[in-house]
Amino acid sequence: MLGFLVGEALRDLRRAGRVAISAIVLITLSLAALGGFWLVSSNLGRAVAQWRDRVRIVVYLKREPSAPEAVLGRVRAIPGVSGVTYIAKADALRALKQVLGKDASVVDHLPANPLPASLEVTPSATAATPEGARDLVGRLAALPEADEVAGSADWIERLSQWQRLLATIGLGVGAVLAVAAILTVTTATTLILHARRHETEIMRLVGAPESAIRLPLLLQGMMQGLAGAVLASIALMAGYSLVAPRLEPLVNLTLGIPDLEFFSPFGILTLLGAGTLLGGLGGWLARARREP
Amino acid sequence: MIEVHRVSKVYSVGPVKVPALREVSFRVSKGEFVVLSGASGAGKTTLLRLLYRDDRPSEGDIEVLGHELVPMRRSQVATLRRSIGIVFQDAKLLPVRTVYENIAFVLRVLGAPRRELTARVFDALRVVGLSSRAQAYPAQLSQGEAQRAALARAIVRRPPLLLADEPTGNLDDAMAAEIVDVLKDIGAGGTTIVLATHQARLARALHRRTITLDGGRVVKDEG
Repeated sequence: MLGFLVGEALRDLRRAGRVAISAIVLITLSLAALGGFWLVSSNLGRAVAQWRDRVRIVVYLKREPSAPEAVLGRVRAIPGVSGVTYIAKADALRALKQVLGKDASVVDHLPANPLPASLEVTPSATAATPEGARDLVGRLAALPEADEVAGSADWIERLSQWQRLLATIGLGVGAVLAVAAILTVTTATTLILHARRHETEIMRLVGAPESAIRLPLLLQGMMQGLAGAVLASIALMAGYSLVAPRLEPLVNLTLGIPDLEFFSPFGILTLLGAGTLLGGLGGWLARARREP
Repeated sequence: MIEVHRVSKVYSVGPVKVPALREVSFRVSKGEFVVLSGASGAGKTTLLRLLYRDDRPSEGDIEVLGHELVPMRRSQVATLRRSIGIVFQDAKLLPVRTVYENIAFVLRVLGAPRRELTARVFDALRVVGLSSRAQAYPAQLSQGEAQRAALARAIVRRPPLLLADEPTGNLDDAMAAEIVDVLKDIGAGGTTIVLATHQARLARALHRRTITLDGGRVVKDEG
């Protein structure tokens, strides 16, 4: 019976012709837009998560402490501190030389080491937000040894806001296109209903169960949706294969993530499910509107 | 098999009430072949539509195959119709399907196993004498052949009751006689048949019980 119903649905799709193709194209566009924004947003999300882990607050000290362990102990006791590392003046100079690379010899001409000793503080997860980081900076600045405290999580939050904005735009554009896709599937199904009115009449006359009359309509909508979702997935995959290798060096440099990730198998399944659902909804709406 | 008791049907056309049937009563026993006769507009089609529960009477009761049709819910109509074969003046064949597919379609929608299709379809085609035209499309059939294909579709489920609404209405005398012969063969197999026709000569030639309608009333029930 299921084979028959699927066969009828396929026959209906052929009947709908260009309208069915339009519906499939619209579903493809809506899911490709939704998926595209989703991809950008999820990669930005990865960057945000990574940078949150990397937030450091640096406390520059007035002078090199004679007993760094005592200072470290007091800093560790401050709420919001997950870890702390002491960087002596000599270590700071060594790090500077490393950064300068072949120009490191410039440092040798300095009369004395101008760099201060410092404490590199890793905030706990709760303190890695703009407010948490500001509070922590205030507490660290109150240390008698502290000369200056640098660091905040503001820019990470700005990145996070961009990520949320992109996700919202993606949802908005995707939703508008999805509504258009549903309406097109509804139109295609309405045409199919008209084209199959003789079959429907015969089916009712011979006492066919309602499921046999209605399911092909729902199925052809779902098939349109699934076809659109498969095409959208292929388009996204092709776009990713083309764009990712070119963008990755830039992304690595600006966002600090080594590569751009594509959807997981679960993500692709979600996309296919969403397409099938959109198409099914269109088919169901037409059926609900036109069936006597 | 069929019991029609004081059935009236009135159609409303805006404020105007048009009576189609008035106090119609009759019984049809199992295996009977009954002709519903009358001029166009006498109420034959309306009466047949009430018998397969395509409409409800305005008044009266109808019982078909043990089902009370007036209180019947829509969901129960399908069950009733699975026991009734229906044939119309226009054969109502699906133009994009062959004769075989038209008949098999009915079996498929009712969930018949695929392995039984061919045998059952050809059984029905044999009864109506159309086995050689199984792969023809409706457009390639004569009107008589199309009507025989419609008859095959109606009997393929071996229903105990066959309702035929002017099946010979579009046919010349020779073709009409062929259809009547097929109907007689089906009736001889034990199927109860109600045949509606406006062709008085055909009704007389059948030599079967004839219920004559005029203006929505039963004016004669003889034979």
